[in-house]
Amino acid sequence: MNDFFMLIGFSEILIVILMQWEVYVTKIVKTFSVGSYIISVFLFYLSFVQHSYLVLALAILTAAIRGFFIPNFILRRLARDPWRERESKPTMGTAFSIIISLVIAIFAYVLYDMAMLNFVGILSGAIPIALVFQGAFLIMSRKNTFIQLIGYMVMENAAFLFTGYLFPDLPFTVEAGTVLDLIGIVMISGIIMRMRENSPKKSDGFDELRG
Amino acid sequence: MNLLYTLPMIASLIGALLCLVRIEKFEEVISIIVSSSTAIFSILILFLPNVSNSFLFLDGISKIMILIISFVYTMTVIFSTTFLKYIDEPLFQKRFYYLLLNLFAFSMFFSVSVNNLGLVWVGIEGTTVTSALLVAVENDESSIEATWRYIIIVSSGLVISFISNIFIYAATGTLDISKLLTTNSFSGLLSLGSMMAIIGYGTKAGIFPMHTWLPDVHGKAPAPVSAIFSSVLLPVALYAIIRIMQFTPALYVKNFTLVLGFLTVIIAASLMAVQTNYKRLFAYSTMENMGMALIGISLGGYAFVGVFVLIISHAFAKSSTFFLSGNLLSRYKTLKIDEVTGVAKRMPSTAYTLLFDAMAITGMPPFGTFFGELLIILVLLSILPIEWTLLLVGFLALAFISMNFKVGKMIFSESDGKKMDRKRVGTIVPIIGTLFSLATIFFIPFISKVIK
Repeated sequence: MNDFFMLIGFSEILIVILMQWEVYVTKIVKTFSVGSYIISVFLFYLSFVQHSYLVLALAILTAAIRGFFIPNFILRRLARDPWRERESKPTMGTAFSIIISLVIAIFAYVLYDMAMLNFVGILSGAIPIALVFQGAFLIMSRKNTFIQLIGYMVMENAAFLFTGYLFPDLPFTVEAGTVLDLIGIVMISGIIMRMRENSPKKSDGFDELRG
Repeated sequence: MNLLYTLPMIASLIGALLCLVRIEKFEEVISIIVSSSTAIFSILILFLPNVSNSFLFLDGISKIMILIISFVYTMTVIFSTTFLKYIDEPLFQKRFYYLLLNLFAFSMFFSVSVNNLGLVWVGIEGTTVTSALLVAVENDESSIEATWRYIIIVSSGLVISFISNIFIYAATGTLDISKLLTTNSFSGLLSLGSMMAIIGYGTKAGIFPMHTWLPDVHGKAPAPVSAIFSSVLLPVALYAIIRIMQFTPALYVKNFTLVLGFLTVIIAASLMAVQTNYKRLFAYSTMENMGMALIGISLGGYAFVGVFVLIISHAFAKSSTFFLSGNLLSRYKTLKIDEVTGVAKRMPSTAYTLLFDAMAITGMPPFGTFFGELLIILVLLSILPIEWTLLLVGFLALAFISMNFKVGKMIFSESDGKKMDRKRVGTIVPIIGTLFSLATIFFIPFISKVIK
C-alpha cells in the first residue's frame, strides 16, 4: 500500500514539474486533470482495500469535480479567448523554475524529516508536503490567473492526497464541504479572470497594491 | 429549541434568496428586514443556555460573535442603501450585491455556530467565495486585481489550515469542537496542527506574515464592504484560532502565537506611520488591533476578556470609520490623505464622528478598545519582562500618533477652496456605531460573564 502511495505521490510531483515546463495554459490544465484522475484512482484502490464506501464516494467526487468539471470549466473559458492560451511573460525562465521545483522537493523532504516526521510518524508524508510547496511555487512563478488557480488546486490536491492516505476516516461532510468550496472558488475565479481581462474602467491605482 | 440558535443563519439565507425577486428596491427592504431580525435574534440567543449537539456548538464566545456579526451586518446593509448610489457602473445589479452580502453574513454565522472544526473551515472558505465579488463592485482594473489577490492568497493560506485539521483529527480522533474542548490528549502532532492552523486562519485574519492581501482589499473595496471585512470577517477567522488555542495546552504554541501577535502589531504600526492613503491607513489599524487580539488569545485569563472587549468595540468603531471613508471618497474623489482638506468645514458630522472613531480604533479612553488593550497589557506585564511590554506600548503609541495626526490633518486643515458636489451621505449609521463602541465599556462585566 505504501509503495502504491509513493508511486502516486512521485507521479504527482512529476506532473507539477511538467506543468512548470509548459507555457501553454491548456496543456497545464490537462496535465492537472490527469493528476486529479491519478489521485482518484488511488482513492478507488484505497476504498477497495479498506472496504469504505465513503472513500469510494470521495474517489468519485475527485474524478468528477477535480478531474472533469474544473478542467473543463477552465478549458471552456480559454476557448472563448484563444489568445490567452499561452503565457507570454512568466516570472522566471522554464529551466530555472524546474531547478527551483527540484530544490523545493528536496527542501520539503528535509523540512518534513526535521520538523514533522516525529509527530506524523509516516515517512511518505513528505510527498504531500512537497506538493503543497510545489503548488505555492506555481502560483508565485506565473502571472497567468488560470495557472495560479491551477497552482492553488495542486495545493488542494496535495491536502486531499494526504487525507485519503493517512486519515481516510475524516468525516465525509468535511471532505464534501471542501469539494463544494472548491467549486465555489473556481466559479468565482472564472468570473474574476474574465473581468480581469475585460475590465471596462482603467485604473491608475496599481501602485497601491503592494501588500 | 435548537431552531432558535439557527435563526440568524436561516434569516440571512432567506434574505439572500429573496434578493432574486425582481421588484424595485425590494432587495434593499428585505435585506434591512432580515439583517435587523438577525440582530434581534442574536440578543435573544445571548440569553439562551449554551448548546452543544452534533451540528451546533454555541457557548458565550459564539454568542458574542453572532452578536457582533449581526449588528455590523445590519449597519452595513443600511449604509449600503445610501452608498451604492455613488458607484458609477457597478459590477452587477444592486440585487446581486445584497444577495452576496446576505450570503456572506450567512457563511459567517455558520462558521461561528457549527460544532466541527472541518465545517468551521468550510464556512470560512465560504466567506471567501461569497465576499470576493463584493470587493470588485467598483469594477475597475485595480479593484479586480485586489480581488484576485484576495482569492489566491487567502485560499492558499486556508489550504494550510485544512492540513492542520487533518493533523488535529489524527492526534485526537475528532474534529467536534465540544469533544476537543474536553479532550486531554496532548501530542506533538496536535501542537503542529495547531500552529499550522494559526498560520492558515491567520492569513484570513490579517496576521503577519500572511497579511498582504488585507491593505490591498480594504483599500480597493467599496466602503461598506471594507467595513464588514474589517469589523467581523477578520474576527471570524480569529474565532477559529480562539477555538484551537482553547484545546492546545502546549506552551510553545502559545509562545508562537504571542510572537506572531507581537510582530503583527509592530509591522502594522510601522506601516501606519508611512501611509498616504486613508483607507490603507485604516486597514493597517485593523491589522494592529488583530495583532493585539492575538496576543490576548495567547495569554488567556483576563486578557481573554480583553480580547472580546477589544473585538466588540473595534468592530463598531472600525465599521463606522470605513463608512465615513466612503463619505469622504464620495465627496473628495480621492483616497490620498494630503488631498483631503478642511473636512470639518465641509462635512462637520462626518469630520467629528471620524475624529472620535480614530480615537476609538487606536485605543483611547473611554472607548472599549482602551480597556480591552489595557487588560491584555496588564496580563502581558505579569508574564513577560517589562521591556517587552514597553516595546509593545511604544508601537501602540506610534499607531495612535500616526492615525490621529493624519485624521486630524484631514479634518482640521484649511480647505483648498475647490468646489465639490454636495452629495447626500450617510452619517447616522456611523454615529450609532461610534456610540456602540463607546457603550461597550458598560458591558465589560457582562462580556466577562458570558465568555466564562
